[in-house]
Formats: sequence, structure tokens, C-alpha cells
Amino acid sequence: MDDYDKTCLESALVGVCNIVQQEWGGAIPCQVVLVTDGCLGIGRGSLRHSLATQNQRSESNRFPLPFPFPSKLYVMCMANLEELQSTDSLECLERLIDLNNGEGQIFTIDGPLCLKNVQSMFGKLIDLAYTPFHAVLKCGHLTADVQVFPRPEPFVIDEEIDPIPKVINTDLEIVGFIDIADISSPPVLSRHLVLPIALNKEGDEVGTGITDDNEDENSANQIAGKIPNFCVLLHGSLKVEGMVAIVQLGPEWHGMLYSQADSKKKSNLMMSLFEPGPEPLPWLGKMAQLGPISDAKENPYGEDDNKSPFPLQPKNKRSYAQNVTVWIKPSGLQTDVQKILRNARKLPEKTQTFYKELNRLRKAALAFGFLDLLKGVADMLERECTLLPDTAHPDAAFQLTHAAQQLKLASTGTSEYAAYDHNITPLHTDFSGSSTERM
Amino acid sequence: MKIFSESHKTVFVVDHCPYMAESCRQHVEFDMLVKNRTQGIIPLAPISKSLWTCSVESSMEYCRIMYDIFPFRKLVNFIVSDSGAHVLNSWTQEDQNLQELMAALATVGPPNPRADPECCSVLHGLVAAVETLCKITEYQHEARTLLMENAERVGNRGRIICITNAKSDSHVRMLEDCVQETIHEHNKLAANSDHLMQIQKCELVLIHTYPVGEDSLVSDRPKKELSPVLTSEVHSVRAGRHLATKLNVLVQQHFDLASTTITNIPMKEEQHANTSANYDVELLHHKDAHVDFLRSGDTHSGGSSREGSFKETVTLKWCTPRTNSIELHYCTGAYRISPVDVNSRPSSCLTNFLLNDPRYKIDASLEIPLERAKDQLEKHTRYWPMIISQTTIFNMQAVVPLASVIVKESLTEEDVLNCQKTIYNLVDMERKNDPLPISTVGTRGKGPKRDEQYRIMWNELETLVRAHVSNSEKHQRVLECLMACRSKPPEEEERKKRGRKREDREDKAEQAVKEHGPEKPRPDSDRLKGILERGKEDLAEAEVIKDSPDSPEPPNKKPLVEMDEPPHMEKSKGPMSLLSLWSNRINTANSRKHQEFAGRLNSVNNRAELYQHLKEENGEEVGLTGGPRTSIPFLKCSHSPVVNRMETTENGKASRQ
Repeated sequence: MDDYDKTCLESALVGVCNIVQQEWGGAIPCQVVLVTDGCLGIGRGSLRHSLATQNQRSESNRFPLPFPFPSKLYVMCMANLEELQSTDSLECLERLIDLNNGEGQIFTIDGPLCLKNVQSMFGKLIDLAYTPFHAVLKCGHLTADVQVFPRPEPFVIDEEIDPIPKVINTDLEIVGFIDIADISSPPVLSRHLVLPIALNKEGDEVGTGITDDNEDENSANQIAGKIPNFCVLLHGSLKVEGMVAIVQLGPEWHGMLYSQADSKKKSNLMMSLFEPGPEPLPWLGKMAQLGPISDAKENPYGEDDNKSPFPLQPKNKRSYAQNVTVWIKPSGLQTDVQKILRNARKLPEKTQTFYKELNRLRKAALAFGFLDLLKGVADMLERECTLLPDTAHPDAAFQLTHAAQQLKLASTGTSEYAAYDHNITPLHTDFSGSSTERM
Repeated sequence: MKIFSESHKTVFVVDHCPYMAESCRQHVEFDMLVKNRTQGIIPLAPISKSLWTCSVESSMEYCRIMYDIFPFRKLVNFIVSDSGAHVLNSWTQEDQNLQELMAALATVGPPNPRADPECCSVLHGLVAAVETLCKITEYQHEARTLLMENAERVGNRGRIICITNAKSDSHVRMLEDCVQETIHEHNKLAANSDHLMQIQKCELVLIHTYPVGEDSLVSDRPKKELSPVLTSEVHSVRAGRHLATKLNVLVQQHFDLASTTITNIPMKEEQHANTSANYDVELLHHKDAHVDFLRSGDTHSGGSSREGSFKETVTLKWCTPRTNSIELHYCTGAYRISPVDVNSRPSSCLTNFLLNDPRYKIDASLEIPLERAKDQLEKHTRYWPMIISQTTIFNMQAVVPLASVIVKESLTEEDVLNCQKTIYNLVDMERKNDPLPISTVGTRGKGPKRDEQYRIMWNELETLVRAHVSNSEKHQRVLECLMACRSKPPEEEERKKRGRKREDREDKAEQAVKEHGPEKPRPDSDRLKGILERGKEDLAEAEVIKDSPDSPEPPNKKPLVEMDEPPHMEKSKGPMSLLSLWSNRINTANSRKHQEFAGRLNSVNNRAELYQHLKEENGEEVGLTGGPRTSIPFLKCSHSPVVNRMETTENGKASRQ
């Protein structure tokens, strides 16, 4: 980013915008820290001017806020509140946060401008935005103290019925392991690095001010590096086995722990959060029912580990998996009629398919109240009957006549033949004994 | 996101009065001439759908898309109106599917053109729609029950989509007034009822449909607020495909859908199996799927212009997936889809390809409580050494038959027999003086002698078995077999005597058992003594190793059970001797070169807590560290364990095995 000798916050924000997008794209959350003396510049390019013209922009010089990536904008003012309030500076800066969809905060100096007060202001920023999340990772009796970075954001499940943001537990309990192929790149709210930390009995990190002896501190750290750590074990194991660990984050809230390579040699233990709820990943079913497979009557992965119970089949199939009948476009209707006709010409070999297609059409026509179609298809089948070649199997004529008759009965809409669940069954003829078994 | 927004409840009111039997005057050719038919056959006359058929199939298409994308929590109630209202289904989830609705519609059948038009009206249906909107859904009920005193947060909003043939604009106004009045009345009723809810917000969507070629007697009107509770909009639409198109636009608006077209999908031709051509398939899905796309594409964030944007579709180019990859990709969203043209060949080709997972699928339901998994993890990690060089038994193939079953909640007779066989086999190995895979890493020379190796092995095996002894009586039998068979070091008797003096410790342990082991019978005092004997052996062992200059100072851990033995080699407060300075230095230096003994790692000031689980479990006792090299419980359990062990190297760094 070039620097200039004039305060022009908009250019700075545009620069940040471009850099972040080039570097990380639009999906990675970013914290933007703007350090300013609270002066907004003068004339063209001043923040006042930017904000005043913000609604008159074309596509090419769009105002950079809201940032086109998940963001927090922190404005660090090297001025105290009174100074800022004496002009409209604070108002303008607040507008910036508003424009960023309220994501961010303004920090000002308490008291006079001095190093100590500036440090304390940045201390507040660190506390708010850069404090790692400490947790205990558990797997049965195996545990490890970890820090999770970045800090997981609170999540609102439903703004109306449950407006209180949910935060994850500090006890992260592993509840099982599953193949990567089974969990298959699930959607996640956020992902975080999981780093082991060595803690002493007070719960402080080792080497922070408990011992005043420097050598002790070093050796404590060295020992911490050599203590077998569950994180290391878990990370390596997940990597080798090609699995992820399912971790409980809170009531009806789960996530996964996995190994993620950031280069050919290096990989990290990561945690991703699923959306809260009893069934965040529909293809796995309810989380509460993902028990150990050793409890299953039969190993769902098969003796040779070549099977999988996932993805689970939904109770009700979606329209694209159940051969629904849609006749909105004429081609849909024509295709269905032609299927019947094609099979009609191959009677008696295609008796079963013929009646299957016939019944499908019949059901849809009854549901849509499209009785004219039933009459039409009946007429068509009768015509086919008259067109049968001499070489045709005698059963074909019987079946066509029977089917046409049944459709006509259904087309009255009143008789028992028009019942939705009634199916037209093949006519039993002296010839049909063998043909009905064919498919 | 609000669960209980207007789209939680949709009521369809479809007019079933005689005039709906009229033709839409759009012809469908259904008798397509098929080639190879040379005779001069005159095709059958085209047929046309009635206004009713058009209305019903368009509504079903609306429902199809909605159910595909929202199989849960978005509900439809279907009402047909003629001389009365026919409510075809309920709000319950099991009534929410196309098959149910189709079957119900079939029982109603097409309108009777000869019925008395004076008796028939869509009003009956609209009144029933308001009534049904007041009825609580199972989701609303569940949320209210869950929220208890905050039950009022559960909203009751809904949408009425009414398809009719209206006479005029004033007729439309009459329908609106009727809905408004009915809401007012029913809200009064609902106020005094436990199983009814007042309507907070109702969106009335009136669709006037008329035969193609006729003039509309009703004018379009955008959404207008009629009262704080009711908004209404009027759409005047020609029947046939125009009506279907309108409902397709509406379902996208109502459920915040957007369109994506997958282009250039190679598909085999039906006629010529060797050739393939490229096709496009248009899909509908929630518009959130485009959020990231819009962000990264043109930076203009999601448009606020709702209308008119529906012809827009985001095009994506098809990329044939590599099926062998089992990598975990970063995924920010997954969205349900519905093909716009579900029965077209390209659509079904695509969906069949995606649905046909080559992997085998099982039909049996797999519903095992997750709590069982936690329980199993607890059992499997009771004894689980994390470092490969700190375990003997998990490096021995001969131990596997025992180690793999001892962690189970209950054992079969066969399991017990296998465990006993394993023990006999080990006894046999000891008799034959077979070598054991004792690690010599970090020790000087050849490591411990053969008999010492076996003692370490037996101790470790005993720790493992004891960790599970309270699981069942059969586990107890395995322990008894082990105790009867294992080799005992000569000094054991001596230690036992010493151990009896430690009455206070026993008391404490006993106390712990009483306090924390209510479910299981308290172990008898003999057994407890046994446990304590073992503990002391472990302690003694720890001390032996501690004396070696290889052992480093343990890191601090929280203080555990008091012990009356003074710590061996602690930094004293007083002046230090040259020897202790020197040995401390050597110890520190050496400690960097090897892995620490697990027991010491968990110790405080060289005091290792024994039988930690006495404190938290059912009065059972376990060893110092934990973990068998057998299957640990997974959702999927492979034959090899997921959690492996770390190997230590000479420089003390842990490396992956």
C-alpha cells in the first residue's frame, strides 16, 4: 500500500480491502485495526467527504464498507473522548462501524495522552479481540489443556425464540471418531487452530511468573515439550487413520477435530464448529444417535470394511429421487405417454413395465383431476390394439383391451376404479402364465 | 433466521367450484407420432387441462420445490373449497409430503361442472385457512414447551395462497375483507385457548386465474397492508403454463431461493451410447448459497431488488469429481437443491449420478445412543500408555486377545477362556525364557534382565486387568487367573508385611470407595489390601527408577493423595551439598535426552497418585497411566486403533510411530 502525506481514510480502507481479498479471498474472517489521531482529513478524501458522498457511488468506486469478507473494524483513537466529542469526529467514526454492519468497536484514551494510557487502550483491544480461548480437550481419561485460536464467536440460533448467543464449552469432550469419507467435507461455521498448552496447578501457563528462577522456568518449558501430550497423539492418529473426531461443544452442539496440512511437511490439529442443533449434518442423522459401532448388531462397515451406513437415507425421498410426475411442460406428459406406448408395443414381454407406467400415469391424472387424459390414453391403447401385426402375441391384444377398459372406468372419476390406491393389474389369460414373470 | 416466520405455515386454498372445471384453453398434444409408422394414422385430438388441473399441478410443483429444499419445519396445509371446505391434510410432519397430498387430491377429484354455483364459494376455504393458521404446529408446540415462561417468543405467522377465478376487483376486496374479519374473530377465540395461537401476521396471496385468450376481470396489485396483521397481494394470471411460472416465482420469493445452472455436463446419448453431449441443469436452492459468490464476484453485495431478479441464475461449469479422493475440504455451506425441471433427462441424469454412491449402503437404522460412545471411551482409556516405549504388553502380539476384550463392558465365556489362554501362553513364554519387547531407549546397557522384564510385563498386564475388574464378575475371573499364574518377585511377601502398616492410607482409600462408588459393591477388605499392595509395588518401582540419574524432575501437577513416605530427592530449602548440585545438574541434562516414566509424569513432588479412579469411579482401581492398544470406540471402529502411540527417540523428542 502506498502512503501519502494526507489523511485519507477511505483510500486506506480500500487498500485493506484489496489486500485482504487478494491474500485470503472473501471467506476468511479478518480483524482490521485502524489507528488514528481522530482527525479525519480535510476537503476531498476526508472521511466527512467520503461519508457525505457514500450514497452517490458507482460500482467502480464503491465505498469499502462493509468489507466484502467477515470482519471486525477496530478504530484506535489517539485522543480522549472529550476531544473527539468536541467535533463530529466520533460520529463519523461511529458511522464507519455502522457501515460495517455494526461489526467493530471504537477505542479512545482514558485520561491524558501518554504512553501508559495508550498501552492500556491497546490492552483493552487485546483482551477483546486477541485473547485465546482456553479449553480442556478430553477423550475418556486422556486430557490436554489447549488453546483454541481464533476465539470461537458466539452463535445465535434463532434471533426470535432463542436470542441469547451460545458460546462453546471450555470442556471439549470427544464423543467418537468417524471416517473422513463418511463426514465428507461438512459445512462449518468457523475453523480454529487447536494448540496444546502446558498448565501448572494454578491453571496458569507454565513459565509465566510462578517461579522467579530463570533456569527453572526454562526447564519447565522443556519438560512441557517432552511430556507426552494427548493433542500430539490425537493429531497424529487422525492423520494416519484418515478420520475426524467428533467433539461435543455444548448442549446439542458439535464440532470436529481433524488434521489439516498447511504444507507438505507440516500439519495442524484443527477444530471446526458445526451449526448448533440435533442434526447438523443430515447425512449422519441425529448426533445423539451416533453411538459406537460395537453396539450395533451387525458391523455396519462390513467384515471387510468396504461398506458404510452413511449417507443415511431420508425417510421421505426428495422429488428427484422418487420419480415424481410433473406435466407442467408438455414434454413431461408426452414422455410419460410414450413410455406406455413403447411398452405396449412390446407386450407381452414388457407387461410389468407397461402396467407400472400405466398406473403411474393413472395416479397422477386422478390427483390432478385430469380425467380427459385417461380417456385419451384409453383411446390410444384401443387404436394400438387394432394396429397389432399378425405376428403379435395373442396376449398383447388382451392386455391392451383390458388396460384401455380399466382407464375408461377410472376416467369416470366416480367408480371404485377411480380410487387412487387401486392399481390396474395385468389380465390373467391362458397365455399370460409365463409372461407375467418376466420383467 | 427465524424458524417461525411467515413461511413456517403455508395454507393453499384452491377453488373447487364448477367454473374451475373450465378448460384453460391451452392444448397439449399427447399422441406424438412415433416414427416407423407408415400407415396414415390420424393422431388423437389434443386435450387441454382444466383451470382446476392447472391450479393443482402448479400448487404441487410449489410444494415439491419447498419440500425438497425444506423437508422439515416448513409446512403446508391444503384446502379445497366448493360448497364447503375440505381440509386435505394437517400440520403434522408425516402429512408433509407429495404422496399424501396427491392421494388426498385424488379423493376430491375434479370440480363437478354441473354443481349449483350458488352453493359454492372459495370463501369457505379462506375461513378454514384462517382457522387452520390458528392451530399450533408440532414445532411451535415443542418450542413453547422448551421455552417455558418465554413461550410467548414463539411466533404464529403464516401465508395463505388462494387460487381462484374471481369476478372483479370488488369480488377480490370482498375476499380480503372476509379474511381480515375472520382473523379478527379467530384471534379472539385463540386468546382463550391453550391449543390455538393468535395470528400475528398473515400474508394473503390471491391468485386470479382465467382461461388463455380471455380478458382478465381482475387487476394485479402489489403487497399492501390491510391491517397490522394482514397484508394482501393480487396476481392475475392466465392458466396453463403461465400459472405454473407464477407459482415458481412465488416459491422462490417466499422461501428466499435462488437459481444456479450447472453447465456443460457431459451425458451419454440415449440413442447413441458411445457419444456424449453436454447439457445444462438448473437448480433452485436457498439464496445464502450465493452469498460468498456475490462477495467475491462483483463486490456489489446482495441486491435488495426482490422482484425481477428471478431470471438471474448463477452459472457454474461442471467438473467431473474424482471419486477416489477422501480429503477433507473447507466448506462454508451446504444447501439442499431442487431441480427446476425435475423430470427432464438432463436433470434426472445429474441427480441419479449424484445419488448413486458406489459404496454399499445399509438399510438398517443405526440408532445407538451417543452416551454409549462416551462410556466406551472411558473404558478404553482407563489404561492407555501414550508412549510406545513405556509399554510392554501393547507391543506384544501375544497379549492382543486379552487386551482387545478386557475393555468390554461384559465378557462372554469364550472371552474369559481366551483371556485365560493368553495368560497361560505368557506363562509358557516366561518358562521358555522368550525375549520381551522391553524398550531400551533411554537406558544404558542392555536394559533390565529377563526375569525383571517379565515382572514389568506382568505388572503392566495386571494394571490393565485391574482397571476393568469391576466391569463384571467375569473380569474378576480373568484377574484371579492372572494372579494365580503370574510370576511373583521374591520380595513381594516382604513388601506385603510393610504394607499392612499403612493403615491410614487404606482407610483413606476405603473412604474414597465409599464416597464415590455407590453403584458397585464395595470391594472387600482383602481385595482392597491387594489393590494397595499393588500400589506399593508400583511406588517401589517408581522409586527404583527415580534413583537413577536418568530420571528428571517431574513437572508440577495438582497435589493428590497424601502419602506418609517422605519424598526422596527434593530440592531442600537449606544449603545444598556439592553432590546434590552436581546430581541435579546431571539429572536436568539427562532429562532432556529421554522420555519420562509415565507414573512420575503424573506425580507431584515425586508423589504419584495411585488408583486415581477410586476418587471418581465406581470404587475400581487403575494403574498410573492408561490405554490399551486395542480398538477404541469410534462411530466407526476399525481393527487398528485410531489413537496410536508416540515413539521416543534418543534425543528425547517424540516422533510419530
